[in-house]
Amino acid sequence: MATVTLTNICKRYEGPSSQLAVDNVNLDIADGEFMVLLGPSGCGKSTTLRMIAGLESISSGALSIGGTQMNNIPAKDRDIAMVFQSYALYPHMSVAENLAFGLRRRNFPGAEIDRRVKSVAGTLGLEPLLARKPHALSGGQRQRVALGRAMVREPVVFLFDEPLSNLDAALRVNTRNELIRQHHRLRSTMVYVTHDQIEAMTMGTRICVMNGGKVAQVGKPLDVYWQPADTFVARFLGSPPMNLFPATLVSDAAGYRAQNEALATPLGLWDQQTLARASAGPITVGVRAEDLHLNREAFGTSSLGKVSGRTVAVEPLGAETLLLIETPAGECTARLPRSISVQPDENIDLFFSADAAYLFEGATGKAIFNDKPRALYPGQGLAQ
Amino acid sequence: MKEASLPIVQESSGPAGKNPVGPEMDPRRASWPVLAFFLVPALAIYFGLTAYPAFKTFIDSFFLIEGRETSFVGFAHYRELMHDGTFWVAVRNTMIWSFIAPILDVATGLLLALALYAGVPFARFFRVAWFTPVLLSYVVVGILWMWIYNYDWGVLNVALRAVGLEHLASSWLGDPNLALGSVMITHAWKWAGFNMVVCLAAIHSLPSEVLEASELDNCGWGAKLFHIIIPMLRPTLLNLYILAFIGKMKVFDLVWIMTAGGPLWATETVSTYVYKRAFNWNTFDLGYPSAIAAVWFGVVCAAVLILNRAFGTKERLEY
Amino acid sequence: MSPPSMMGPRDRGAVQMPRLLGRAALAAVILAYTVYTIGPFLWLATMSVRTTEEISRDHYAWPKTFHWEQFHQAWVGSNFATYFWNSALVVVAAVMVVTLVGAAAAHALARYRFRGNRLVYAVLFSSIVFPPQITLISLYQILVGYNLYNSLFGLTLVYISLQLPLTVYLLEGFFSRIPQDLFDAAKIDGYGDIEIFFRIVLPIGMPAISTALILNFIQLWNEFLFAVVLITDPEKRTLPIGIRSFMGENFQDIGMIAAGVMISVVPVILAYIFFSEKLIRGMTAGAVK
Repeated sequence: MATVTLTNICKRYEGPSSQLAVDNVNLDIADGEFMVLLGPSGCGKSTTLRMIAGLESISSGALSIGGTQMNNIPAKDRDIAMVFQSYALYPHMSVAENLAFGLRRRNFPGAEIDRRVKSVAGTLGLEPLLARKPHALSGGQRQRVALGRAMVREPVVFLFDEPLSNLDAALRVNTRNELIRQHHRLRSTMVYVTHDQIEAMTMGTRICVMNGGKVAQVGKPLDVYWQPADTFVARFLGSPPMNLFPATLVSDAAGYRAQNEALATPLGLWDQQTLARASAGPITVGVRAEDLHLNREAFGTSSLGKVSGRTVAVEPLGAETLLLIETPAGECTARLPRSISVQPDENIDLFFSADAAYLFEGATGKAIFNDKPRALYPGQGLAQ
Repeated sequence: MKEASLPIVQESSGPAGKNPVGPEMDPRRASWPVLAFFLVPALAIYFGLTAYPAFKTFIDSFFLIEGRETSFVGFAHYRELMHDGTFWVAVRNTMIWSFIAPILDVATGLLLALALYAGVPFARFFRVAWFTPVLLSYVVVGILWMWIYNYDWGVLNVALRAVGLEHLASSWLGDPNLALGSVMITHAWKWAGFNMVVCLAAIHSLPSEVLEASELDNCGWGAKLFHIIIPMLRPTLLNLYILAFIGKMKVFDLVWIMTAGGPLWATETVSTYVYKRAFNWNTFDLGYPSAIAAVWFGVVCAAVLILNRAFGTKERLEY
Repeated sequence: MSPPSMMGPRDRGAVQMPRLLGRAALAAVILAYTVYTIGPFLWLATMSVRTTEEISRDHYAWPKTFHWEQFHQAWVGSNFATYFWNSALVVVAAVMVVTLVGAAAAHALARYRFRGNRLVYAVLFSSIVFPPQITLISLYQILVGYNLYNSLFGLTLVYISLQLPLTVYLLEGFFSRIPQDLFDAAKIDGYGDIEIFFRIVLPIGMPAISTALILNFIQLWNEFLFAVVLITDPEKRTLPIGIRSFMGENFQDIGMIAAGVMISVVPVILAYIFFSEKLIRGMTAGAVK
């Protein structure tokens, strides 16, 4: 068990492209933490993981595991174990041999190997499969063997490279829970790469959202969800993604308002000085689909923002209804109760509590406020 | 919330220190000694036994080489070649063979594949059986077919006589007008199975949805064949044509065994002619056959490039 | 059949008549072609167990008594044993070496990124197109120069070079489909580059390697041109040139020639019986697009 510290880590590939695959990443992973690296494909999250593993050289920066500088230590000596997307089981070895292999390579005594293989096989329910070859296993079974192969090693850090993406939906949920259980049991440091926000939200102690080789934000899952550092994180977490509208800040007697052709929201609750600084340039207003409502009566008296547009599509999903409207400022999706009755091609107003709005700098996309005026996150702003 | 300025102790290597372990860390890279370990044996064999000899042949083509005596003759061999009647007969025969026979090969292969695709029982058995000649050596095939073509008791003439077509019974390999055709048919016999297997694999890999869609579009067997299957197999068929073409540009063994180029140069190919000039005739000059080999090397490479370009392998059918 | 009307169970037959005819025609074509491919071979097999005297009486009779002693005589009396073992020695040695060397090169080309990777691959592969004459005459001179002319060792070297491009091509295609994750896992388990090749790539690549082995075996077993140029000593002949020279000297002895040919074909047929699918796949690899 150990901490993992990345300091100014960069990865540059040889070739014509001068862009950094990983650009100055700083990350402190605490002992026993489940850190999720989350981002779209090509964001550098897998490369970062592979640099921690020692499968990719570090172009510059420092990596330490358990306080020891690891830059030049080969993968085999880092005391890490990795679970691969394609599982990477040795196809010519049985399950038992696959489990024992990493230990045998490290000259563990036979009795110790047997003990560990038995105990891990017991934990993961692999006993009946020990004699089989990987090709005779189902996808879920292979996944468990891959996890078991990492567990017998009892490494200081577990690395996971999208280990669930080859499983079907139902199996994915089971395996996710299994992984969470194993993390609670083992209390090891785990670094987990995924592009799936649900995996990130449910599994991570903290999430590190990456974009274009850079760290966009690090934080606890709900912190990242409630206080996205920029528009990228805001849209990447949450489904459907947050609605974003370009807007400008205008002030009157009641304080600042954000507005554009389709949207207007009072911002009296925010710090007016910060808004005054931001009002020099364009801003972006974000509203999550689940914060939009059809009737203003739901809000009590608090100050309300409003989006107006024309309905394009109504998608009843059973538990809820997605409403897609087109406004002069762009498209907007709302997540509404299943009971609503709206017709396509109808002019409509959607309301949101003014403190549910997110404000970003128009030019950089960075959040204008790092702490919105909300006492507690869930359900705030709505009279419940 | 960005963790930009955390107090982390920088250790010895420095912030932008170049990684001394470098490439070995990346599993897709290897140090030069490792690459050499894997590649040097193959490259040594290639350069020692393929590239160097090929290069030497080019050089030799400018020399008169009689045993130990070599003398530079410049382009004399090439000039002589322009007026060498036998060479041009050999070129003509090889060209006829290379351009025409592949059409026969590929068409036969396609038809056989379609016959099996039609869903006959024991298709697997027939596939394996039809492929057998591909595995037999040219020596075996040549001897077998010399017997089949035997004037007195060969299957062909016996069969013709049995059905009363005695006037058609011929000396298949002895008649200059028939010999080339006869050898070509033997060659086609050997290779039809190859083309069949490739076509069959290609047909089976066609997306079944497209074939089903064509049935919904009221395509019968013939329409399906000509409007759907053949156009979609086009890349495979052209590829097979090029492969057969290359094979026939090189053809030696079968001709040498069955007719040795005769009668009257009727089956002479460039390969057999090179062999004769180098090792069979008492001309004792290795320079002249080297010149032929060099010319032919150029012709084959150019032909392959041109065919590849003409058939546009870039154009891949998307489905 | 009754004239077709639109309905009624009786018309079924009438509608299906053309279909049935088509089926019959198809069956006829298939059977005819099977006779055409297999027939000559069976004919050869019957002749191999008949004496030349019996054959010249009737070339197509079924053997009344099976003269297995023909094989014995061909094996001992007509030198086919020598030819067979020469062939076996040269071919087995060449196949072993070329497959190992080719696999090593294919692994490096499939796995590692380095400057000139595709160039090396293209160089190795392009010689598949070369007409053999371009190296034939020079190789003859070179082998004479190194005292390797008329030597089975020299022929083995040449055979290795002949099969190298195909071997690299076949194995590179297969090796490049082994997922990279497996190599990463091996790296974490402490395998070095060379160990990875012997302990991971070779075992996992076995299907492709055995295909390459069988394919190389058959092609070299049948090789004629280089053998006929590089070997003149009767004691060192391989089977194809042995048969050919035997035929040249004993043109009329059909029974004995047939027995000799059968001896040369048996290993190929055995390989084919056991590995037909592998062989077909290997031989046609690359042609399927």
